Amino acid sequence: MHGPAGTDSHWRDGPWQKAGQRLTAHRPAAAGLTVLAALMLAVAAGLVAGGGPVGAALAAGHQSLTFALFAGLGGAALGLLWAATAVALGERAERAMMTPATALTGLPLALALPLAGGLLGPERGLAPMAVVTALIAAPAVAVVARDELRALLRREFLSAAQAAGIANGRRLRRHILPNAVLPLAAAAWTALPRALMAESLASLLGLGLPEGVTGWGTAIGAAARAGDAVALAGPALLLALTLWALHGVGDGMRLAFSTTGGHR
Amino acid sequence: MSGSEERTPLRVEGLSLLTSRDILLDRLSFAVEPGEVLALSGDAGAGKTLLLRALASLAPKGITVLGDIHIRGRRILVTQDGALDPLRPLGAQFTELLAHQSGMDERTALRRAAEALERFQVPAAARRLALHPHELGEAMRWRAALALAMAAEPALLLADAPAAALDPTQRVRLLSDLAAWTREAGTALLLAGRPQPDPIQADPVHSGLADRRLILAQGRLEAPEEEPTPAPPPVEPAPSGPPILSVRDLRVAFPLGRSWRGEERWLTVVDGLSIELAEGETLALLGETGSGKSVLARAILRLVPPVGGQVSWLGTDLAAAPPEAMRRARRDLQILFPDPLAALDPLMTIGAQLAETLESLRPTRSPADRAARMAEALEEVGLPTAVLDLHPGSLRPAEAARAGLARALLPEPRLLVCDEPAATLDGAERADFLALLQAIRRRRRLALLYATQDAAEGLRMARRGLVLLLGRIVESADSAVLAAGARHPYSRALVAAAGLVRPALHGDPPSPLRPPTGCALRLRCPLAHDGCAQVPPSLDPVAPGHRVACHVAQDEAQDGAQSGGKAP
Repeated sequence: MHGPAGTDSHWRDGPWQKAGQRLTAHRPAAAGLTVLAALMLAVAAGLVAGGGPVGAALAAGHQSLTFALFAGLGGAALGLLWAATAVALGERAERAMMTPATALTGLPLALALPLAGGLLGPERGLAPMAVVTALIAAPAVAVVARDELRALLRREFLSAAQAAGIANGRRLRRHILPNAVLPLAAAAWTALPRALMAESLASLLGLGLPEGVTGWGTAIGAAARAGDAVALAGPALLLALTLWALHGVGDGMRLAFSTTGGHR
Repeated sequence: MSGSEERTPLRVEGLSLLTSRDILLDRLSFAVEPGEVLALSGDAGAGKTLLLRALASLAPKGITVLGDIHIRGRRILVTQDGALDPLRPLGAQFTELLAHQSGMDERTALRRAAEALERFQVPAAARRLALHPHELGEAMRWRAALALAMAAEPALLLADAPAAALDPTQRVRLLSDLAAWTREAGTALLLAGRPQPDPIQADPVHSGLADRRLILAQGRLEAPEEEPTPAPPPVEPAPSGPPILSVRDLRVAFPLGRSWRGEERWLTVVDGLSIELAEGETLALLGETGSGKSVLARAILRLVPPVGGQVSWLGTDLAAAPPEAMRRARRDLQILFPDPLAALDPLMTIGAQLAETLESLRPTRSPADRAARMAEALEEVGLPTAVLDLHPGSLRPAEAARAGLARALLPEPRLLVCDEPAATLDGAERADFLALLQAIRRRRRLALLYATQDAAEGLRMARRGLVLLLGRIVESADSAVLAAGARHPYSRALVAAAGLVRPALHGDPPSPLRPPTGCALRLRCPLAHDGCAQVPPSLDPVAPGHRVACHVAQDEAQDGAQSGGKAP
């Protein structure tokens, strides 16, 4: 028999390291991660230093990113819960739960946020807006997460674990959950750009973040109404850059982690 | 230069392919004459695809081609995936190629296309020209791809592992048709890949599929050595004693939801099967894809829930067994999966997975004893103990297959169920693994259930064979009987395909969703008569220990018995 595959220094690398290497090997993902890290630092620095159009744009980024992060995480959690419940409850319940999710992903849900903003009126709080954003982001996450879970449950090593007499609870803890982490993270990530996009669109129309909270969308809207090109450029560029980076990382995660859509 | 050399479609002299670091192919010289079929084999990664691409002037970037390639006339490369343009119907692809190559007008080109498809026994060929590639089955797509290539009348056809994903029965038929056509048309055919499912027994030259065979190994071409015919396996005494495993009327079906009339629809995969297996007995399950052999193997281990029937292990009905009895049964019943790498959890080390199996099935063992067992099992399958610290991702397929075998042997099973255990292995690695499996089985006196599409391999591994068709047994006999004189046309086709002889079955397998009435084989069977459509044949004995479910074979056996036992 031959020795263990390869003698290069990577042969002992675990599967997690390999997944990380696959992610950073995807160029847009690597660039996206760098851009996101730089933006975080810049936004933090802008909060401290402040001043000028750049400082204002960075300060607005703080509000936008915080909102998108919380609403996106909420949407991701909701979507994952949706998918996991559907898969756990058996075939009939799964069909009943996933059909509406699939139908919702086909609708222009982003328009629901300005609608909610209008209905809630100018006195609207941050929390209801975040909840609506999470609801907007959830169906797409649920659809992808369901596909990933189904693909995972069909994988052969679970049959092998069953043949080894491993009880269902232990199979879930030891085999299913660890293997679900990365594909589900890739599914959940899509909620972040979706939340940022929906919030920025609503804020641009003045129907997003409540009065007194200035996000990138709000800043772009105000600058456009004032006809101030210099004030418009900063937030618009930062928003575009952030969305690009988020999508780049999302694509990379899908290619590197997914068992259904990725090329592996 | 003599006249015959002028006509040689392909002559290669001193061809080397180099990257900046390695020599991939080293000074190859060979020629293919008109009408000659040259089979080129070699292990995975030997450079077969690369050589073909280089011959088609499609060598990848960064590869230096040295030496001379003389090609006379038109050459066509059919790539591994048999690629057709997915967006255009077949007819348009034929007309485009033929107009470009021979300046043919559309009517002539379409007629030529239909004729080309008919050469591959495509029924209603002219109508299929309106279809897109995705509307064709895999087998039909391959016929179309090869017909497209041959319609252009090349002087040299380079076929890279054609139809490798098809069942042997269909693949061998397709390749025989292709070889017959190239010989007739005087086209030189270079057939790469492994047309032989089994490197030891089936030789494409002996069976007449190819005229010559070359082996690519370590970048060089070698003429095949005269392999000594493997010694026939020692005849083992038929195991006696009560059956340890008994399967009665097992039915496995999957719900497909309701039809528009509200009827429940089921896909029946295993249809009322009964098997008995004695201690130390070996049984091969043979059949094409979709015959239900793999689902049967899993249903026996209760990895797939059956909808009816009974599986008993040592007299215990597994369906009704309490968890503790089930655990004891799992200890005795172990399985090898078709893709051993996929059967290992990618996030756990091999050691952790072996330990988990042992802990679950032999919970009374002490940790020290467990470690010793694991080391023993690895040694038995020929893996170093360093493998215990590796994740499956760093194993090669042959190592993964051995790790899977080690895991199955750990709980000291009495029956090993194998579902195409060597499907991911090629060439020498495959032969080594099967020899190891056979040796371990003998040493441990394991009972073996061996499911495979390759009849030759199955019959060599097991003493008795069962042939499955759409979830039913169609023939059951001793391996030697099946290999030499199978009665059912389907079994004969499987055995012929394993020997690379053109199997006598028409068309493609029927859809399991709409099986034909009567005998499931009748639409493809060369012997079928009207009676076959009426009643499904039952499995009846035609000789001691030999049962067949075929009207024709049963009639013949009866006639033979009446006329004094001269069965054909």
